[in-house]
Amino acid sequence: MLTLLPPVAAALQEPFYLDLVRKVMIFAIAAASLNLILGYGGMVSFGHAAYLGIGGYAVGVLAFYGTTSGWVQWGVAIGASALVALAIGAVSIRTSGIYFIMITLAFTQMLYYLGISIEEYGGDDGMRIKARSDFSGLIDLGDPVAFYYLALVLMLACLFLVHRIANSRFGMVLRAAKSNEPRSRGIGFSPYAYRLVAFVIAGAMCGLAGAMFANHTSFITPEFMHWTRSGEIMFMVILGGIATTAGPLLGALVLLVVETLLAGWTEHWQAILGPLLVLSVLFFRRGLAGLMPGGKDG
Amino acid sequence: MPLTLVLEQLLNGVQFGVMLFLMAAGLTLVFGIMNLVNLAHGSLYMMGAYLTVAAVQWSGNYLAGVALGLFATLLLGMLVEVVALRTLYDRDHLDQVLATFGLILFFNELVAILWGRTALDLARPDWLQGHIELFAGSRYPLYRAVVIGVGLAVAAALWYVVTRTRLGMLVRAGASNRSMIAALGVNIRLLYTFVFGIGAALAGLAGVMAGPIYAVQPGMGELILIQVFVVIVIGGIGSIRGAFAGALIVGVVDTLGRAFLKPLLGTVLSPAAADAAGPALASMLIYLLMAAVLALRPEGLFPSRGGQ
Amino acid sequence: MAETLLVVRGLAKSFGALRATDGIDFEVREGETHAVIGPNGAGKTTFIKQLSGELRPDAGQVRFAGEDITALPAHRRSRKGLARSFQITSIYRDFSALDNVALAVQARAGHSFRFWRPAREDILLTQPARQALEKVGLGARADVLAANLAHGEQRQLEIALALATQPRLMLLDEPVAGMGSDESQRMIELLASLKGEKTVVLVEHDMDAVFSLADRISVLVYGRIIATGTPAEIRANAEVRAAYLGEDL
Repeated sequence: MLTLLPPVAAALQEPFYLDLVRKVMIFAIAAASLNLILGYGGMVSFGHAAYLGIGGYAVGVLAFYGTTSGWVQWGVAIGASALVALAIGAVSIRTSGIYFIMITLAFTQMLYYLGISIEEYGGDDGMRIKARSDFSGLIDLGDPVAFYYLALVLMLACLFLVHRIANSRFGMVLRAAKSNEPRSRGIGFSPYAYRLVAFVIAGAMCGLAGAMFANHTSFITPEFMHWTRSGEIMFMVILGGIATTAGPLLGALVLLVVETLLAGWTEHWQAILGPLLVLSVLFFRRGLAGLMPGGKDG
Repeated sequence: MPLTLVLEQLLNGVQFGVMLFLMAAGLTLVFGIMNLVNLAHGSLYMMGAYLTVAAVQWSGNYLAGVALGLFATLLLGMLVEVVALRTLYDRDHLDQVLATFGLILFFNELVAILWGRTALDLARPDWLQGHIELFAGSRYPLYRAVVIGVGLAVAAALWYVVTRTRLGMLVRAGASNRSMIAALGVNIRLLYTFVFGIGAALAGLAGVMAGPIYAVQPGMGELILIQVFVVIVIGGIGSIRGAFAGALIVGVVDTLGRAFLKPLLGTVLSPAAADAAGPALASMLIYLLMAAVLALRPEGLFPSRGGQ
Repeated sequence: MAETLLVVRGLAKSFGALRATDGIDFEVREGETHAVIGPNGAGKTTFIKQLSGELRPDAGQVRFAGEDITALPAHRRSRKGLARSFQITSIYRDFSALDNVALAVQARAGHSFRFWRPAREDILLTQPARQALEKVGLGARADVLAANLAHGEQRQLEIALALATQPRLMLLDEPVAGMGSDESQRMIELLASLKGEKTVVLVEHDMDAVFSLADRISVLVYGRIIATGTPAEIRANAEVRAAYLGEDL
């Protein structure tokens, strides 16, 4: 269905939908990466937007210094995100529960303030990216349709990758540690290393989403890393259905569409979204994937 | 560096610290006793400031307005607890985070609808203007001195209530053993609602006192909330003592870092480099401090047996 | 005489003023079923946690197969072949019975940093897991969610988990606790079928189970072993009878 959208949108002369769905797919990647650690690993990271920001800034800063090669930019985005995830994870995975939530949030806030305080890259105003990432003429991101299909392919690849990881030996150890940690230690697993590796994979994948998002907006700002963004990504995972393959896509789609609709209706859309969020947590716990036939996978 | 400047910044740090403490006290109790992650605590700080602005304008009297505003915040806190948070006690942290995140969006937008998005001015009354003289040649703003005084007084009162009264005994017992409390015939739901309301009023008080120093605007709660998280992580969840120590440490370190890191770096780096690195490092300082504390003491400086 | 597999010397652990274990000396021979009994509060749980590595002793030494393992954490001891079942059933409730056991197999099968192949289709994991389930009598229940198994079946599953790690020594913490008589009879038969194959340390309150299964029994009272011997010797021991004052051994 998603593959058909570009020709339909072109026929209807509504490029806006193309734009919206592209954003949905980028956030589906971010949500899928969070789903790996939150859904399967039980790590309630409230700082996932950090990697969105790092991926975005990697593209923006390299472009600022004249490096426009997409291979380099996106490679650095993924690599830098993985490194930062390694550092944040190494400290925060030693803790659990409320501590873990607050620490991941605090570290992301630190990066947010770092972004604001570096005047060279625009401070809190952000910075325009003059040229989109250049993939040696292979894919032209300036062409909305080409970018759309690239996002589609990458999103499907990421959803599939998370699915495979979650069901691999590694994934089973990760899920087991979430289900019953003392039992895991009892049969000979120490969850720390597995959790940390998952945390790094998730960071790297979200860094990719960040690189794509910077190209999507042609603009980077510390707002990429704002803590409400982390909350949104987290809500996408829950709304779509925690620990399901398609959940992140469903969650990103519904949340972003609802946001767009509400924002078109009233300036104060967050006053409506907020209570909706509370109600959905209180009364709708299975997630959208649970409603779809065959949508619930293990 | 002149000594008076250092002293002044140190006092500013303490002043920021006691405000952080007022926020952290309520939050850490709610964490420790009800095992609830309440992100919306920052919203209560904001609502305290706005309700007081409204009450001062309506009554025309500063002190009466503050009292009225804080009472309204207490009621609001209890209302939020009864309507939304009560059902979250038995849920996992994930649900609590999301639901209270939703509450923040709601309150921020509510404030924008009622009072607009531009910052309001909560003017301090004439009798709080001016300066006091610390010693010859060194003056300190009276208002900030009063903030420190009020903060320390509240901290002392809180310490007394928690460690020396029946209510405090119940609160501490509730942190470690809910069923024991119930067995004593105490209405635990009412106790929770009351504790939550007190926490809200303390957050509101911090918001009121912050008003003349920082801006009263939508979203003001979240900036301080995350710093309060750092305080609680450093101090140890559920511990009032830890919250107090953590708040002062964070307040002083943050304030001194912002004031002196740049000139200090300037002595070893080039001015341009110090200009660039100073503010960046200063804004990261408390988070790096948190990471260091965690590396050495994962449970914080004053772990409480009730929290987890 | 069979080789000694586990040797404990002077094991001590205090919680404040309470000496939960107070200088325990204890030996387990290869192949035997060695029961540990004692009145409530004797320190049995503290003792077994120190054997499994969940608690660090204040003093003393634990040697397993000739190696000093006193400083090793639980997951490292498990890898050395020391498996443990929990007093309160500890299984992966949201996993199927087969997935539960397959994880235990996986723990023994080298590192688990394998990201791509689906673990559930890996015959190297599922085959031994099914065998372990058969062994404990849960062969027909492989695909049932662990949470939906009956209490007795969950205890059997827990034994299967321990078996699947191919342990040299199994620490079983009250495997019969909380069972009906049919269920406990089945569990006793299961444990009896392990005799000779596995070395077992059995902490148990159920005296029927202890006296029908154990080759030797050690009696723990106030953090000390007051007697070790065959069931017949223990029955005849005056000090033990005094500790169990009036209770029928």
